[in-house]
Amino acid sequence: MKFFSKFLKIWAWISMILITAVILFLFGYVFYQGYETISWTFLTDSPRGAVLGMEGGIFPAIIGSLFFTGTAVVLGSIPAIASAVWLVFYAKNHTAIRMMHLIIQCISGIPSIVLGLFAYSFLVRDLNLGRCILSTGTALGIMILPFIEVRAEKAFRELPEEMIRASGALGCSRRYTICRIVLPACRGELISGIILGGCYAMGATAPMIFTGAVAYASVPHSLFEPAMALPMHLYLLVAQGTTSLDVAYGTAFVMMAIILISNLLTTLYARSRHKAWMNS
Amino acid sequence: MMSAVTVLSLAFVIFFIIQEAMPLFDEVSPVDFIFGRVWMPIDFTGTTSFGIFNFIAATVYVSFLAILWSFLVSIGAALWLSCIASERIRSLAYPFIDLLAGIPSVVYGFVGLTVLVKLFMKAGVHTGSCVMAASLLLAVMLLPYLVSSCSESILKAKDRYLPATEAMGISGWYAIATIVLPASAGNILTAMILAIGRAMGETMAVMMVMGNANLFPRLFGKSETIASVIALEMGTAVAESTHYHALYGAGMVLMLLLFVINTGVSALQRKLMK
Repeated sequence: MKFFSKFLKIWAWISMILITAVILFLFGYVFYQGYETISWTFLTDSPRGAVLGMEGGIFPAIIGSLFFTGTAVVLGSIPAIASAVWLVFYAKNHTAIRMMHLIIQCISGIPSIVLGLFAYSFLVRDLNLGRCILSTGTALGIMILPFIEVRAEKAFRELPEEMIRASGALGCSRRYTICRIVLPACRGELISGIILGGCYAMGATAPMIFTGAVAYASVPHSLFEPAMALPMHLYLLVAQGTTSLDVAYGTAFVMMAIILISNLLTTLYARSRHKAWMNS
Repeated sequence: MMSAVTVLSLAFVIFFIIQEAMPLFDEVSPVDFIFGRVWMPIDFTGTTSFGIFNFIAATVYVSFLAILWSFLVSIGAALWLSCIASERIRSLAYPFIDLLAGIPSVVYGFVGLTVLVKLFMKAGVHTGSCVMAASLLLAVMLLPYLVSSCSESILKAKDRYLPATEAMGISGWYAIATIVLPASAGNILTAMILAIGRAMGETMAVMMVMGNANLFPRLFGKSETIASVIALEMGTAVAESTHYHALYGAGMVLMLLLFVINTGVSALQRKLMK
C-alpha cells in the first residue's frame, strides 16, 4: 500500500503536467500558426479567390457567427433562467422537480447533430423558414439551454436563504423578490453562464451544416437569411484540402482568441463579484 | 410559464425525429436497420441497404476508448487538484482547465488533422486517420468535465473522512488511496457514464480524424460514427427518400442510446444518495 500511495502521487503530478501541456500546446499551436495570417484586411474583408478562401478575409463569417450566437443566446437563456427560477422558487412538488431535472438532463444529452436534424425538419421545412439564421439559432438555443440552466440554478441555490426570507418578511411579493433581489444578486453568475454558453454555441458546427450556415454569403441583414459562420468556414476550408491552410489557421486563431478573451473576462468578473460579496 | 418552453422543446425534438424516422420502418425492419452491416443508400448496384451496425459499434467503441484515456489522466489531475494544490492554485487551475471546454470542436478536429493524423501517418498507419486518433482527440475534449466532477467528489469525500483518518494517525496519501478514493468511486462512475454520452454525440472532431469508412472499428483502422454519417450524408440525401428517413432513424437510435444512459445515471445517482 505504501508503494501504491507513492504511485498515486506521481500519477497525479504526471496527469496535471500532461493536461497543462495539452492546453498550452493547443492554444500555442493555433496562435503560432495563425498569427501571420491575421491582418486588418483579413478581419474586415470578404472571402475572395477562385477557390473559397484563397484570398480575402473572413468578415462575413465573423458577423454571421455573432448573429448565430446572439439568436441562440436570446432563445436559449430566457427559458433556461425561467426554468431555474421555477425550480428553485416556485416548484413545490418533489416529483415535478425531479421530472424537470430529468428533462433538462435529457436535453443536454441530445447530440448536437440531432438538434440539427430537428431544426431542419421543423423550422427549415415545416415552418418554411428555409435555411436561415433563425433556424440554426433555435437549434443552438436548445443546445445551450441546459448549460445555462445548470449554472443559473446553482447560483440561485447558493444565495443565502436569509436574504429571500427577509425580503418575504418585509412583505415583498415573490415576484418582486426575484426581480429585484435574486436576479441582481446573481448577475455575475448569470452573465458568465450566458457568455460561456454563447462561446459554446459559437463553436458548434454540427447543428448548422444543413440549417443555416453556407459556404459563402454577404453580411446578413435579418434573421431570415443564411449566413457564413466561423466554425463552418473553418470546416469547409479544411475539407477543401491544403489550398487554403493559412486561412484555416487564421480562422481558428480568431475563434481561439474569442474563446480565450471571453473566458478570461468571465473569470475576472466572477472573481471581482466574489470579492465584492466577501467584503460586503 | 417560460419553463414550459424547456419541456416543449424536448418534446418537439423527440416528436420530429421520430416522425421523420418512422417511414423508414415501412421499408426496412428495425432489426435489419440496427444489426445490418451494409450501408448502401443509393442504388448504384440496383439494391439499397440500410444497416447501421458498424456505425453504432464505432460510436460505442470510440467513446469507450476516449473515456478510458480521459479517465487515466483526469483522475490523476483530480487528485492533484484536491490533494496537492492549495486553495489558491485550485481556483486558478479550474478556469484554466475549463478553457478546453470552450474550444470549438472543429478546432479540435483541425488540430487533430494537422498534428495527430500526421503523427499517426509517420508511425505507419495508412493515411493516418484512425479510431485511435479520434479517441485521443475525444479524450482531450472530455477532460474538463471529468476533471471537475472527479475533483469535486474527491474533495467531498476528503472533507468527510480525512479529519478522522488524521486523528487516527494515518498518513495523507495512504488515507487517500485506501479511504477517499473508494468513497468517491460511485460519483466518479456516474461522471464517467455521463461523459460517455457526451462523447457519443460529438460530431465534428471525430468526423475529421476518423477517416469515415463504413467498417467495423479497429484500433488503427478507419471507421465512421452515427453522428458523422448524418453530418456527411444529410446534405446529399434526397428529401423524403428512404435514405433521408434512414438518417433520421440513425439520429433516433443515437438519441435513444443517450436517453438510456441519462436516465440510467439519474437512477444511479438516486441510489448513491441513499
